Amino acid sequence: MVALISPAPKKTMQRLFDFWSAYQSTVAFAIVNSFLALSTYAVLSAGILSFATVTYAALGGFLGARLVLASGLDSLLALPIAALAGAGLSYLVALVFLRLQSHWMALASLSLILITRVIVINTPWVTGGVVGMSVPMPLSLSFLSLLLALAAFVFWRLSVSWYGIAAQSVREDPAVASSLGISARDIQTIAFVISGAVGGLGGILLAGLLQFISPDTYFVNIAFTMIAGVVLGGSYHWSGAIVGAAVFTALPVVAQAAFPEYQDVANGVVLLAIMIFLPRGLIDPRAIRLRRASR
Amino acid sequence: MKSVDVDETTKVPKPLLELSVVGKNFGGVAAVSDLSMAVQAGSVAGLMGPNGAGKTTLVNLISGMLPPDHGTIEFSGVQIQRSPAHIIAAQGIARTYQNVRLFSGMTVLEQVMAGCYVRRGVSLWASFLGLPKAQHAYKAVQNHALELLDRVQLTHRAHFLAETLSYGEQRRVEIARALGTRPKLLLLDEPTAGMNAQESAEIGRLVHSLRGGGLTVLMVEHNVQLVKDFCDVVTVMNFGRYLVSGTPAYCMAHPDVQAAYFGKTTDAERIQTLR
Repeated sequence: MVALISPAPKKTMQRLFDFWSAYQSTVAFAIVNSFLALSTYAVLSAGILSFATVTYAALGGFLGARLVLASGLDSLLALPIAALAGAGLSYLVALVFLRLQSHWMALASLSLILITRVIVINTPWVTGGVVGMSVPMPLSLSFLSLLLALAAFVFWRLSVSWYGIAAQSVREDPAVASSLGISARDIQTIAFVISGAVGGLGGILLAGLLQFISPDTYFVNIAFTMIAGVVLGGSYHWSGAIVGAAVFTALPVVAQAAFPEYQDVANGVVLLAIMIFLPRGLIDPRAIRLRRASR
Repeated sequence: MKSVDVDETTKVPKPLLELSVVGKNFGGVAAVSDLSMAVQAGSVAGLMGPNGAGKTTLVNLISGMLPPDHGTIEFSGVQIQRSPAHIIAAQGIARTYQNVRLFSGMTVLEQVMAGCYVRRGVSLWASFLGLPKAQHAYKAVQNHALELLDRVQLTHRAHFLAETLSYGEQRRVEIARALGTRPKLLLLDEPTAGMNAQESAEIGRLVHSLRGGGLTVLMVEHNVQLVKDFCDVVTVMNFGRYLVSGTPAYCMAHPDVQAAYFGKTTDAERIQTLR
């Protein structure tokens, strides 16, 4: 097709193809990070700060990879199993965590990450132990995009349903929500289960993308990435998690290309600028509504 | 006409709400002390007392925000003192707050829809899947929410962010939100606090119209005129204790009530002799 086009546009198209080849892995990582960010957003939207997504991702990643490796399970079937496993684990986590005050819950979820790592290291028959394990589960960009579109649709449905109203009420003021007949505990338990399902799915997608996972794959670094993605993108709308994950994934790549000598500085400056000038993140429904009202 | 529960031995209508020797302490402070009172169905009851008398604490106990240390709270014949707040709301008690507590980032209509959650009539699953019956039920609830906004004269503000409204309008949104739960008993905690005379009168007329619809109202108020105009019976508290109960005129003229608000005459005489 390129050969049929005249020279100048042909050069542009060639550059675009080269650009795409160089950065499609970045796009793939941005999509997978979106799942992890959405998992964090799911509980944040009900007023809970929890880093337990790392644990759900670890379970989904290692369990899914082991099922594909050991039993030859089709990777398409491993995905829902990873999501279900994450959902089941998150329900158990909710039973314990929802008894804690918010700050203790965040701390407990950090402890859960450390416990997860210890378990991963000490169960080599599932996880490969310290050595890790390869994951023969190639994932195409189009498939990842389709999954993300599906996830976005699910979160959109949640936001416009009665669950969305209840979760927003619980997030803003759980005591007032209770006085309106909304059980904060029930809504937050549902939030945990959604987070677990999406986190488990994100974990197996990360495994498929990396093609190799180890105890270091699912650790504190992911927790920082997903929280930063949600906060920067906007923690008041589901699309903020996707935008934030994309920005957070692309930023180091863009900075390296544009300012190779000052990459880390550029990253920091951009993040600081967003935090100062857009404290509620890039996607802020409240600001959008205020702007519309002022017209 | 609604049927009313009647005590078979006395043939007197059973109260909708009955508190019996209810107490609540915060450390060494008795915020509510062995208080007993009753509210009859279909009435507008006032709850008065000086600042710190324990009125808001009592409202918190009735609505389930706080558990009492002892005593019983009976609503429609069911003891609710150990029930969580969301269960009490589902049973038919709604409330507003001394300081307006609306949900940030929500429009006026969304605030009232949040109030309608407990009466939504469909499961969360059906709502998430967008089933036809769920969509139909949602539309019906939305229409009901708009009717409630019409009652508080805020239909024209339905799509405004609630936090951009004036203080008086926010108070009315809070009342509409509470009405969304379709309560049998509405607890209003100082609904006219910070309002001018005209706004207070509007709230009074709204309360009067609510009674016309069969709702029972328990209103914490300092506005004496509002209480006189719209309350059938008043209970006065002081230092967490029951002081007196009766018609507004009776309570206002009661020497114990006047002493609670203005101090005892013996105190004034003592001060005079010291000078």
